[in-house]
Amino acid sequence: MRRALVILLLVAVSLPLLLAVSQLPPHGDPDNPPHVHIAPRYLESGPEEAGAENVVTAVILNYRGFDTQGEVTVIFTAMAAVVAVLVMGSTGTAPAERSAAAVPVSVIVRFIVRVLAPFIAVFSVYVVLNGHVTPGGGFQGGTIAGALVIALTLILSEQDARALLPRRPERLLQAAAPITFFVVGIAGLVIAGDYLAYPRTEALRWLTTIMLTVVELGIGVGGAMVIATIFRTMGADR
Amino acid sequence: MIAALWQNLDYAASVALFCIGLYAIITKENLIKKFMGLNIMETAVFAFIVALGVVDGGEAPIMGPGVEAPFINPLPQALILTGIVVAVSTTALALSLVIRIWRQCGTIEADELREAE
Repeated sequence: MRRALVILLLVAVSLPLLLAVSQLPPHGDPDNPPHVHIAPRYLESGPEEAGAENVVTAVILNYRGFDTQGEVTVIFTAMAAVVAVLVMGSTGTAPAERSAAAVPVSVIVRFIVRVLAPFIAVFSVYVVLNGHVTPGGGFQGGTIAGALVIALTLILSEQDARALLPRRPERLLQAAAPITFFVVGIAGLVIAGDYLAYPRTEALRWLTTIMLTVVELGIGVGGAMVIATIFRTMGADR
Repeated sequence: MIAALWQNLDYAASVALFCIGLYAIITKENLIKKFMGLNIMETAVFAFIVALGVVDGGEAPIMGPGVEAPFINPLPQALILTGIVVAVSTTALALSLVIRIWRQCGTIEADELREAE
């Protein structure tokens, strides 16, 4: 009975969707509505105007910088909420004896992570810093770095894992992305006359590149810290 | 309709993915599986919007020497990058709530939780 109802609902949902999808303009046609309005302009003048050869990065950091600032605020808020839910309200159930019953990490995993760790670290920095000319960017590189921290946390002892993330400026680094956006936004206000604006003139091209790189770095560091913090907060007591 | 669907197979695939996610959300009692379903639905929407930006034979929208038009529409990709980050945020929050429920109630099965009320 229940199963029949579920199937009925799924059919009722999928049929209108399929019908709508079948009436969309053909997939991949260059004359489709999304490709004829603003995208050509971005593609044409993105590299000169926004200072990033990767037009996706140009859209994210320059044309729609406000969006991205909201986005980094969202992920920072999510981290704050995770910490609030898991740490602040916990009724003092001691996170004392941990991992006694946990499955020991196999030698193979341990070895592979150790061998790969430096390469992953270098790759994440590359993806962050080269995001405006190659595929990549702050979020992608930050996620790779966060994944590295998670992998290392799995194979290291509690104390060593804690030493991975610096204790002292931890809060500052977790908020790195919103703070960087704010600072660069104010810098744009001073230099170019608008919040989050970048200098347009040819002579100040290098400044735009520096500002973009700083934002990418901020997003990368902030993103990595947020992901690592979320992971560690969730695994704090097992 | 079938011919039109065949032409828009990418879109139809994301509809199928969407329904799989919806199925998981409705039928699974385990909260983590429900959130997996939610993630599958999100992925379906992302795939759909990215597919909207595809141009046949297009190159990645990275300018530089040696690349020429047509380029793939950069706008959906930028939009979806934002969407993915928001999806990660909601998933993290949802999972931490599940952890909290597990600590308080000792179970994350929706039906058992309903009984416990």
